[in-house]
Amino acid sequence: MKRMLRRSTMTLMITLAFIGGMCYFVFKLVTGASDWVDQPYNAHIGGSGGLAQAGAIYDCNGVVLAQTVDGERVYNESESVRRATLHAVGDNSLNISTAAQSMYRSQLSGYNLLLGLNMPESLRTTNDITLTIDSTVCKAAYDVLASYDKKGACVIYNYKTGEVVCSVSTKGYDPQNPPEITEENESEYDGVYLDNVRSSSYAPGSIFKIVTAAAAIENIPDIYERSWTCYGSHEIGGSDITCVEAHGTVDFKYAMACSCNYVFAELATELGPEIMKQTADKMGINSSFEADGVKLAKGHYNADGATENQLAWSGVGQYDDRVNPLQMAIICGAIANSGESVNPTFIKDKSLLASVGIKFGTGGQTLLNSDTAAALDEIMRYTVSSYYGDNLFGGLTVCAKTGTAEVGEDKAPNGWMVGYAKDEKCPLAFACVVEESGFGFTYAGPVVEAAMIQAAKNLGAI
Amino acid sequence: MDMAVLFDLGVVALRVLLPIYAVFIVYQCYAAMRRRRRPEKPLVTLCNPVTGLKLPVLFWENTIGRSKSSDIVVDDPAVSRSHCVLLRRKDGWFINDVGSKCGTFVNGREVHGRTRVLIDDNISIGNSEFEFRRGEEYEERLRSSWFFSKVSNKPAVKSYKLMLLVTVFHFFLCVEAMFWNDGSDTYAPLMLFGALAAVEWGFFCISYFVLRRATFELEALALFLTGTGVMLLVRQVERSAYVQLAAAVIGMIIFCVIIKVIEDPDKVNKLRIPLMIAAVGLLLTSIVFGKIVYGASNWIYIGPFSVQPSELVKVIYIFIGASALDKLQTNKNLLEFIIFSVICVGLLAVMGDFGTALIFFVTFLLIAFMRSGDFKTIILAVAAAVFGVTFVLRFKPYVADRFKAWGRAWEYANAEGYQQTHVLTYIASGGLIGVGIGNGFLKQVGASESDLVFGIVAEEMGIIVAITLALAVALLVVYARAITTRSRSTFYSITACCAAGLLAVQLSLNIFGATDVLPLTGVTFPFISSGGSSIMACWGLIAFIKAADERTYSMKR
Repeated sequence: MKRMLRRSTMTLMITLAFIGGMCYFVFKLVTGASDWVDQPYNAHIGGSGGLAQAGAIYDCNGVVLAQTVDGERVYNESESVRRATLHAVGDNSLNISTAAQSMYRSQLSGYNLLLGLNMPESLRTTNDITLTIDSTVCKAAYDVLASYDKKGACVIYNYKTGEVVCSVSTKGYDPQNPPEITEENESEYDGVYLDNVRSSSYAPGSIFKIVTAAAAIENIPDIYERSWTCYGSHEIGGSDITCVEAHGTVDFKYAMACSCNYVFAELATELGPEIMKQTADKMGINSSFEADGVKLAKGHYNADGATENQLAWSGVGQYDDRVNPLQMAIICGAIANSGESVNPTFIKDKSLLASVGIKFGTGGQTLLNSDTAAALDEIMRYTVSSYYGDNLFGGLTVCAKTGTAEVGEDKAPNGWMVGYAKDEKCPLAFACVVEESGFGFTYAGPVVEAAMIQAAKNLGAI
Repeated sequence: MDMAVLFDLGVVALRVLLPIYAVFIVYQCYAAMRRRRRPEKPLVTLCNPVTGLKLPVLFWENTIGRSKSSDIVVDDPAVSRSHCVLLRRKDGWFINDVGSKCGTFVNGREVHGRTRVLIDDNISIGNSEFEFRRGEEYEERLRSSWFFSKVSNKPAVKSYKLMLLVTVFHFFLCVEAMFWNDGSDTYAPLMLFGALAAVEWGFFCISYFVLRRATFELEALALFLTGTGVMLLVRQVERSAYVQLAAAVIGMIIFCVIIKVIEDPDKVNKLRIPLMIAAVGLLLTSIVFGKIVYGASNWIYIGPFSVQPSELVKVIYIFIGASALDKLQTNKNLLEFIIFSVICVGLLAVMGDFGTALIFFVTFLLIAFMRSGDFKTIILAVAAAVFGVTFVLRFKPYVADRFKAWGRAWEYANAEGYQQTHVLTYIASGGLIGVGIGNGFLKQVGASESDLVFGIVAEEMGIIVAITLALAVALLVVYARAITTRSRSTFYSITACCAAGLLAVQLSLNIFGATDVLPLTGVTFPFISSGGSSIMACWGLIAFIKAADERTYSMKR
């Protein structure tokens, strides 16, 4: 019997293993519960009933973007504000997965691990969320962007604090009266649930010249002494690289200002695919940045195995290059910040969400040497002052680059504008893309102009 | 404060009360199991008249020998390492030589086979002589197992009070189920509760008045779990709740029958061969006539009833594993049992029921180790199993596909990980105290009432109750181990420990499978999961634990 007792210790191991496993599971539950709860299929919070007892969502100035009144979710009274903030705020459904009402729905409805969901109404404590976005800036951007009736995105973020001031994605809909998407109208609403600011990537076109320029500045010592003569069309690697017009004899700075494809195509072939990819990697093109724990869509640059002509095109943001709008704003912010990026955030008051276990990515990374950042800053400033003119931004000291990315034979190009304001009182970086539109300056320019002027006014910079 | 708030407060108070109540019941059951034991003192004493040495005889079965692991160590070079066995049966004490060199003598006559020993008889072993004396002759205090030590002398909670606690708990569940009425019949839970209470008290009365059992803690714990499982079903599939209850009644009958059948540990051997044939027959039937459900062909349909033979084979398996001890405590020949195990596990693997196959395999390891104490056998068996699994995966790679969501459920949230992610989401939604019986949504997911029942319990009654119910099952191992040395025979010790071990393994596979800690294999949560065969098997298995408690047979009210 003594033997039996000793041998039966084996059985005890099973119970110990079970208790160990249970501890592990409880640990996972405590750390993961709020993520587990926020699932689109969770019937406790899904559907219109899911927000019946939820807290309000405010913009950075305390304007109500969404609140619950008598069990009904009511959004901002202005339809264009509602549409402008749709992808940041979300609607009653959980379809827009990156929206605050989807990501933090359980927090809004007062979820915590102790009480779970489905507490009686009278005893539930709901949480409000304040976003960093400014509804007036979003509205200004949206009004211009929506007037094109095209898909697109406009984002402005503070490169010192990381706060996203403006985040607009089209097309969208009115969250107060969400459309019923059926088979007939499905093409009209194609991609409406996707926040183009965070979740889409596009061919960059000439805005990618910022990356090529960074590679050239770091790797070609006599870059500023060189000059090129542009005839409008040059054969590289067996096919033509074309410019909008013949730019004549240009130096490096002016080539950026007038966006001469020939010069940057030459530079890309000279630098070669490895150095180009190295620079793109370092600047974060091939990785995804994080905003409040959400991974942004990745960009893409890899000319490994490309022909010489494709390599040349890759240097001017064609070939298979891709970038994400918020990613470009972060990179522009890093240029303004001597090469250091700051991760963006959409949440103003983090104390509450942090208290229920939501983590925020803080800090950022070094995307550029400070020397390179200074050099890029200078040529991007030159681009604005010599080419677009400072009156565009109501007197702000802006550094920027436009782009017009060809996306296919029978499609109009994507218009881009990215950049930042250097003003002490207005440390904002921006990126705007309008799909299948036309010249970046013509389409993305006015959106950025409207939004930046509004943002600068709100900051008291102009 | 208006009335609505007061009402809500009441509802929440009830929900907060429920977990505390559940913990209290499980605590009371286990506390009762510890009490009302005979005091730790020797049953008889062996006195050496020459040296004056007194050896206490503590157990119903005692090995005597020179080896340190013997129950009674005789330090005498003429004594074999394992010399003889001194055992107590209903009709007295016996001694049995187990192949010693010098033989065993009672009153000067050599022992052949089982020989009766009476008080004051002379037993000589090697060069040592002992007088067989009463237990009172031994005066020193003995150390008792921690499980039974430091128990206050107060009598345990009375069985009927324990039953009252359990019934009131089930009534609470019934009230909750009525409160969260989803439009179907409001009084359905009350009806079910009535039937449940009738079964519970009926069983209690039979045990108390007819069988005159002195203890009822283990049964109360099992009834607590069974009833909770039944009440959970009322707002899911009401019909299943009654089927479950009926199956539980059959389980209770099986429970009583098994205890009766194994009353005499010397006669269980005769049942071995017929039961082996029955086990293999049952498994073969389900292969031939089985319907494939969730990838495993372990269901057979007889008219309106569906049976899972592999569940019933579990009970037989434990029985056979321990009954093959020909000469008590001496037979280390595992060959017959190994062959039987290979056939069982093999047939289960063919059926595609890998969860049950794994349960059998772990149970095999437990039984083999309990019987032989040999680590080599265990290592060999594990090596063979690893080889076998590699072999299967090599030739049937699709088998691995069934488990590919393991540990990555969120990546396969719409495919293989669908069930696990839903379980996790709804467990988290339930919080510590749950959303209320019948108020959950996990019940809409397929197989939730059996494989994912841990999720349902956690969602509707809260994670505290879910863990408490799980611990109630897992701690049976501790109880079974604590009574090992108080069992009437090694047969009971082995069956009790292994039956408890089997339940704990099954519990782990169920809970951790559903929560993506282990691969989802589709086994049931003992006593709680819906499934007639499963609940019968659980009741059958705890019969072994009940039988191992010496009080079951030797103490009458």
